[in-house]
This record gives sequence, structure tokens and C-alpha cells, in this order.
Amino acid sequence: MEDDLQKKITEAIRNPKNMGEMKGADAIGTAGSADCGDLVRMWVKFKEQDGRKVIDQATFQSFGCETAIAVASLATELIKGKTAEEALKMSGQELAKDLGPLPPMKIHCTQLVEGALRSALGQPQKTAAPGEKSGSLLENFSQSSASGKVRVVPLNEPKKD
Amino acid sequence: MISPATTMREVLEAFPGARRALFRRYHLGGCSSCAFQPTETLEQLCQRNNSLNVQEVIEHIQTSEAEDQKLQISPADLSAAMKNGKPLKLLDIRTREEWDSGHLDGAVLFSQELMNEILGSWPRDVLFVVYDHTGSSSMDAAAYFMGHGFEQIRALKGGIDAWSQQIDSKIPRYRLEM
Repeated sequence: MEDDLQKKITEAIRNPKNMGEMKGADAIGTAGSADCGDLVRMWVKFKEQDGRKVIDQATFQSFGCETAIAVASLATELIKGKTAEEALKMSGQELAKDLGPLPPMKIHCTQLVEGALRSALGQPQKTAAPGEKSGSLLENFSQSSASGKVRVVPLNEPKKD
Repeated sequence: MISPATTMREVLEAFPGARRALFRRYHLGGCSSCAFQPTETLEQLCQRNNSLNVQEVIEHIQTSEAEDQKLQISPADLSAAMKNGKPLKLLDIRTREEWDSGHLDGAVLFSQELMNEILGSWPRDVLFVVYDHTGSSSMDAAAYFMGHGFEQIRALKGGIDAWSQQIDSKIPRYRLEM
């Protein structure tokens, strides 16, 4: 089963769909854990269709985990044409269903993608149990470039207490 | 003091630069596929990686601080390199928000797409400087690229904050709120 899964992941990351930042996105979401080291960021743009506000396009960036890239690639295709409510009903496993059954250690990757989508659509993320990974160099510095909603405060601006 | 029975968590606590040192020489701990667990011991790590000589690994970790210093470039030296016109690559690994607040001339902002380009086509033998806010994450990035053959990789000592204070005060200093 794992060989088959690895082939699907390899195929998905060889030609990932919708990877990269999106200019003019209506919403941006980030999910990830400093404990785990993996991080996914997602951009969503809506359009009006038959009187409904549906997802026109979604893109992503994933740092540190190839399975998350594969899942995010699939998910950003799956949610096209859905309303935010419809997309939010999809679980991580549904978003990754084309990969087939995932081993327990890979489930976290689907949760990351689901979390980034929920973040983009304004819903609270499900809390994941802290991991026991020690992180890696790539994860350490990739996170600093994708840490999500941060505010840059000039040093001459008074600090809020 | 570390020994073969020391866990990787304890190793990292005693030698914060150990991960960088391990990746530079042994390609361990760089990405998710070669990561190690905080609970495994040095001996276990060595055993599952082609039976590395654990005593040699310990010695390498213990001298890693000096190795870290070799990876750094001071703001003054970077400024001089930028002025002399030799080929130079500058990589900014901060967030988009920080980049927008000010960045070094000639730098590019790190992204996943750019990572593919760097590993695939950037020259390995020209000066390649990576910087962050204050010079911590850039050390990990420099070690990572060093482990991928970039011989002239350096991390800007003190980050863009030091650059702002020592070289170009027009780059605004800042702090981050999450």
C-alpha cells in the first residue's frame, strides 16, 4: 500500500496544481505547528455563479512536507466551484481521497491542508496534538518565510501592553 | 558533555548548532526525510545511518561553534562585496510582510518555487548570502545550502537588523507581532 501511495505522491508533486502565491486573493489561510515543523498556506478567490458565491481558484504553498504538497494540490482542485460552506464540510481525508488510504503518520498532512482551508475561510482550526519531531533545517527556515499573519511594527512605534 | 547514549534533544540543548553541523557533514536533520527524533540517541542515529563513527560525530558536534562562525558574513563585508561588482546572490527568508517593509537591493524573497530554482540552477561557486531579521534562521538556511554544495554560502550576521544599524539606516528596524 505504501509503495502505491508513494507513487501517487510522487506523481502529484511532479506536476503540482495551483502551487504558489495568488495575487488579488479574497482570503489567505495558514496552518502549521512549530512542534511539527510542517506548514501550509492557502489563497482563495471567489466568483459569483448562478447567484451563489463559489470558489473560483485556490492556490497553496507547502513547506517541508511532500505529502502535504500532494494533498494541497488535490484539494485546491476539489474545492473549485464549491461555496465556502460546502468546502468547509470536507474533511482532510475527503480532500486527500484520490491518494487512497494514508498511514497514521501521514494523516497530519491532510489535517494541515484542511486547517489552511479553514483558516482561509475564517473558521477556527482543529487543534492537533503536539508532535515529537525535532524539526529540520529546511523546516526551521522555511517557516520564517511563511509564518502567516504577522504584523511588522516599526521600532519607533510604542509597544502595546 | 555528550556521549553515545545522549538523546538528540539533549544534544541540541547542549549544542544549539548541532543540527547545522550534522547536516553540513553527514546530511542528517536537513529535511523531513533525513530528520531525527528528539528521543533517539546519538548511537542509534549513527547506527541507522550507515553505521557512522559515533565518536567522530561527537567530536564534530563539539567543534560546531567554530564552523558556525565560518558560515557568517558581517554587514561590512557584505557591503564591500556588493560594491566590488562580483557575482553575488542575495536571498531574503523573511515573511512577505517583512520584505514589503524593506529589503536589501538585489535580494529575492524565498518561496517554494524559488527553492527549486536555487537547487536546480544557481551557481554553487559564487558568493550567496542569505539573511533574515536578526541572523538566527539564516544560519539554518546557510547550513542547509552548504549541505547542498553551495560552497560560498554565508548568513548575514545579525540579519537585516544589523544591516540597518551598521550600513543603511534607511532600512527601517522593526519588531514582529503575531
